[in-house]
Amino acid sequence: MFGFLLRKLPSVAMVAFISSIIAFVLPRLAPGDPALTIAGSDATPEQLAAVRERMGLLKPLYQQYFDWIFGMFRGDLGESFIMRRPVASVIGSRLESTLELALLAMLLMIIIGLALGIAAGSPRSKWARAVLDAMTTVFLATPPFLTGLLLILFLGIFVPILPISGEVGFLEDPLLALQYLILPAVALALPQAAIVARLLQTAMNSARGEDFVDLAKAKGVPPGQITRRHVLRNSLGTAVVALGLRAGDLLAGAIVIEAIFARNGLGSLAVYSVQSRDYVVLQVLILGAVVIAVFIQLFSEIILAALDPRIRLEG
Amino acid sequence: MIAVMDVLTPPAQPLLKVEHLTTTFDAGKVSVKAVTDVSFDVFPGRVVGIVGESGSGKSVTARSIMGLLRAPGRVREGRVLLNGRNLIDLPEGEMRRIRGKQIAMVFQDPQAALNPVMRVGDQIAEALMVHGADAGSARDRAKALLAQVGIPDVERTIDQYPHEFSGGMRQRVVIAIALANDPALLIADEPTTALDVTIQAQILRLLADLGRELNVSIIMITHDMGVVAELCDDLIVMYGGRVVEQGPVRDIFANPRHPYTAALLKAVPRLDTAGDDPLIAIPGAPPVPLRLPPGCAFHPRCSNAVDKCRVEVPPLAPMGDERRSACWVAMAGGDVAPVAAEATMRARHGEREREPALRIEGLRTNVARPGGFLRTSDPVYAVDGVSLEVYPGETLGLVGESGCGKSTLSRTIMGINAVSEGRISVARRDVTAMEPEDRRQVSTTIQYIFQDPFASLNPRRTIGQSITEALNVVGITGAAAETRMVELLERVGLSQDYVPRYPYELSGGQRQRVGIARALSANPRILICDEPVSALDVSIQAQIISLLEELRDDLGLGYLFIAHDLSVVRHISDRVAVMYLGRIVEIGTAEEVYGNPQHPYTVALLSSTPEPNPDRSVENRTILTGDMPSPARPPSGCRFRTRCPIGPAFRSEREICNTTSPDLVETPNGQKAACHFAGEAEPGKA
Amino acid sequence: MTEISTPSHKRSRLNPTLARYLQAFTTPKGQIALALIVLLAGVALLAPVIYPQGHDLQTRDSLLPVSWAHPFGTDELGRDILVRSIYGLRTDLALASVAVPISMILGTFLGLSGALSPRLGVLVQRALDIIVGFPGLILAICVVLVLGAGWTALLVAIVVGGLPSFGRLARATLLSQQHQEYVIAARTLGVDKWRIMVRHILPNAIDPIIVQGAVFVVAAVFTEAALSIVGLGLQPPEPSLGILLNIGMRYITIAPFYILGPTLILLLLALAFSLLADALNRTVNRT
Repeated sequence: MFGFLLRKLPSVAMVAFISSIIAFVLPRLAPGDPALTIAGSDATPEQLAAVRERMGLLKPLYQQYFDWIFGMFRGDLGESFIMRRPVASVIGSRLESTLELALLAMLLMIIIGLALGIAAGSPRSKWARAVLDAMTTVFLATPPFLTGLLLILFLGIFVPILPISGEVGFLEDPLLALQYLILPAVALALPQAAIVARLLQTAMNSARGEDFVDLAKAKGVPPGQITRRHVLRNSLGTAVVALGLRAGDLLAGAIVIEAIFARNGLGSLAVYSVQSRDYVVLQVLILGAVVIAVFIQLFSEIILAALDPRIRLEG
Repeated sequence: MIAVMDVLTPPAQPLLKVEHLTTTFDAGKVSVKAVTDVSFDVFPGRVVGIVGESGSGKSVTARSIMGLLRAPGRVREGRVLLNGRNLIDLPEGEMRRIRGKQIAMVFQDPQAALNPVMRVGDQIAEALMVHGADAGSARDRAKALLAQVGIPDVERTIDQYPHEFSGGMRQRVVIAIALANDPALLIADEPTTALDVTIQAQILRLLADLGRELNVSIIMITHDMGVVAELCDDLIVMYGGRVVEQGPVRDIFANPRHPYTAALLKAVPRLDTAGDDPLIAIPGAPPVPLRLPPGCAFHPRCSNAVDKCRVEVPPLAPMGDERRSACWVAMAGGDVAPVAAEATMRARHGEREREPALRIEGLRTNVARPGGFLRTSDPVYAVDGVSLEVYPGETLGLVGESGCGKSTLSRTIMGINAVSEGRISVARRDVTAMEPEDRRQVSTTIQYIFQDPFASLNPRRTIGQSITEALNVVGITGAAAETRMVELLERVGLSQDYVPRYPYELSGGQRQRVGIARALSANPRILICDEPVSALDVSIQAQIISLLEELRDDLGLGYLFIAHDLSVVRHISDRVAVMYLGRIVEIGTAEEVYGNPQHPYTVALLSSTPEPNPDRSVENRTILTGDMPSPARPPSGCRFRTRCPIGPAFRSEREICNTTSPDLVETPNGQKAACHFAGEAEPGKA
Repeated sequence: MTEISTPSHKRSRLNPTLARYLQAFTTPKGQIALALIVLLAGVALLAPVIYPQGHDLQTRDSLLPVSWAHPFGTDELGRDILVRSIYGLRTDLALASVAVPISMILGTFLGLSGALSPRLGVLVQRALDIIVGFPGLILAICVVLVLGAGWTALLVAIVVGGLPSFGRLARATLLSQQHQEYVIAARTLGVDKWRIMVRHILPNAIDPIIVQGAVFVVAAVFTEAALSIVGLGLQPPEPSLGILLNIGMRYITIAPFYILGPTLILLLLALAFSLLADALNRTVNRT
């Protein structure tokens, strides 16, 4: 395992490096002058120059990049132009909200995805199969924001049982926090869970056609045990890979979900930063999202190797 | 001896009695009969062979007995009585107690039949535990079983996963699973088809020994008449979903009473006959169950058919002692031996040309994946120092087992793999560098016939488009291409009706003909045939072999004929080369190599090949132990020494084999062999 | 050397690939999909004919609930939400019908580029991997950041967002097909690389790519909607389903019906193309 991580290190570092360049360059490609935004349109040239000097915009681009990168290694993420606060503290104040949402959504995605996939991939009556199939298809076709809107309409307004906007910190009042969290988390999790379920179902169906399932039948193994030990065990790898890949999309989905449910998380911070062209904040958010997605995938590869003896991490 | 037993014991009750079994596959409104009215008995301790080609219903019969039909298959009629108890009506729960306990099954492909994420010991133990054993005793029994089927080092291997086993070892594990609960009946569905010939011999011997020791009855399903002759007591021949002939193996081989059986025995090339007598090919292809011909299903391919055969299905009627056959001609006492459509001998081209069209010298091919950014990979030479020549008008047969490098050799000649060392000359031009000009020389001189006629034609392009493309490459276009295409199709025995068809509309044999026509479009002088018949049904193989021989003799083509089937190679080849682990170990004329093999590996190969001759002694054959080593880590000295029956593994004083690699040198018998003790090994002396 | 030619059953001479796709519409799923797509696309196309007054007709009846006169109600300026939804659908479908084919063709070509040169293929694959590394909306936001919110940014975001999935499908086909014997056969015959790519490999890639294309129509519309909801998509005077949702969200407590209509249309659209993808997928895999 250690060997595996060591072997993966160059490619992870490469991805991080390229993303950091993209995260750094892209915002600066945007038209408009951030200094003008900050100083105001009626600023004098002297004021503008002072703003530029303070923001470090007069240094060459590569210098700015290295300042940023080395700053990050020292724990200094830079200072927001607009909010005039260190980026670390801006992100820190929003982190809890998004973290709670993402963790709950991921948990739901794993539970719903596996349950739905196993249910649909096991022998079922014609009707049960049709219902499961329809459920997966509908969830699959409905993106997080539509699910969110529908949940708001039906569980928040027509039958008002859950709050539809705002949030409460989990550490302040766990029960109330959960009430606020449940709708956005479900909205975020369902479409991704449906993808995982569909892939798991397909994998189980194809595993069921393998010779070793016939051999198990020929041994006299009962159907439940065949599904568990032979079919499911050989399909879980697909589910794990799918979960790893979907986690990134789930994070990205938080951007819209936070807007719909009026949560003050990193997603709404990102939107605000784009609108105000606050690229010091933005570059950290973009890089962070990419790196987290990479690490989740790495984690899923480790689990995959634990599930399948043919895959050896050291190899 | 049989007579004596008959006196002592009352006539045994059949262990398994199949009566009027009919199995259908229903798709929508269409119902396809895969098996029709099949009846037979299996007596205790007997080995019953069911032989047939694809679509004959032999595997469906086996699965019907086991209750393992895949949807939408189901048994429509008939009974399957095991010790008098009808298995067809049994509820699934009851049937589950019989499966694995009283009847067990061995599958064709050991790669696919074991669960890849479960330890082999657990897979054996599972078979015991579902029938009531506790975990501890199941594990002990699993160890005993593994030892019994010849798996070494049981204490360690029991906790390994299937991918750590070789193909032959995996099949042994599958057999161990089947034998776990001491079943009374073992159904083996093509258990050796996916294995190499030396491994096949090991598995067949294991099955025969275990069957005798444990007194298990065996139903052996196969397409190979050689396997039948070797292993079986009784034979059932199936065609088009019906039994066409049944009886004791020796009697059927000596005197077949159905034209299909008779033709099949004549259509299979044999090790003990040279290639001069032409094979009598069965025309056409086996019918698909969806479109069975009316009357006797074999009549469109039968040279003896009479009018009645075309309209009425013949019943399976008794033909003397213990024999039955379903043939109107045989019933009327007629002759069922196949009449060769054209028994004309073809004249071979006279003197063979002096100049080889293809010459290979000291060729080495590295097949290791290129190293990564910071890693270099050790070279793996799948072909390691091979020299040979192919002359126009002659066939050089190249035999060897999977992994010996024969396909890599052909791919290197075609420029698909890069040459690491050595030289390739085509029509006197050194093409080793494979520059564009060299490639042109290669592709106009040498063409390729592929193994799998299903994969070698683009499924989305018509036959006409496929051949036209080949013609366009050599500059024949427009109307000239049309004419030439029809010419080529006729040359390989296909009418121009096939031009607008897609590959899926053709049978395997027809596709292979198209592949040959396409290869001929560049007017090559050499064809490399890489296992050109091994994916085809037995009755089709003879057609393609005859076609290839005809083309060779008419057009003066030279063949590099690569195959694992020694009988086929003997039939078609003038010279034969035997390959082992990247090297040629023996090369000479077919008579020399087959008549008096000098290398122990050749001896073992010949001795392992099952022959359709029930009288051949199987007791003292040379059966190799173990598997071929990986080309990534070849043994020092002689590469064959780890398995050699006359080498240091058996005779420790032969140090030279460990240290010195033998050269390919001429032997007193005429051919060349690479062995320090050439000529010493003889069949049956190991 | 005679070959018994099996009687050839009647074959239609219609292009077999096209005929296979049309078969998808013989299944119930395919028929529902077809009906929905014809309905939605028809209404969107004919919007100027059905509602010649346009989507900007303001009245004094603002935020009226659902009624016969206004099946989806009216908005804050008294405009009919049904009319605005249909014009919004028109915008979204126009966007998808430009962006999806571009992304499909470009992605397929990128995926197949390895047929011309293995090095190029690997390079392209690496580039696509980087795009994949930017999950979902984050990529779209990056594009909006550079190009500024609007039509161009949306178009580019959708096209680039689709490249990895089309590219991967095409590359998977390439990797599986280039070792097929018929491709090797073509190579050994001396057929040139372009021809092998176009004639032998591309036709095998088309099936999964068409299916993915149907899925991607939905993704394209949803990208617009999601970006517009957070205010980074099209900007208000323009009618689009996302903008309707964006504004509707502000009135959700006093006029919940506002977002109901556009949501319904988005759902129908998603359902239609998912069913289409499903039906196509089954047909393609059956043959």
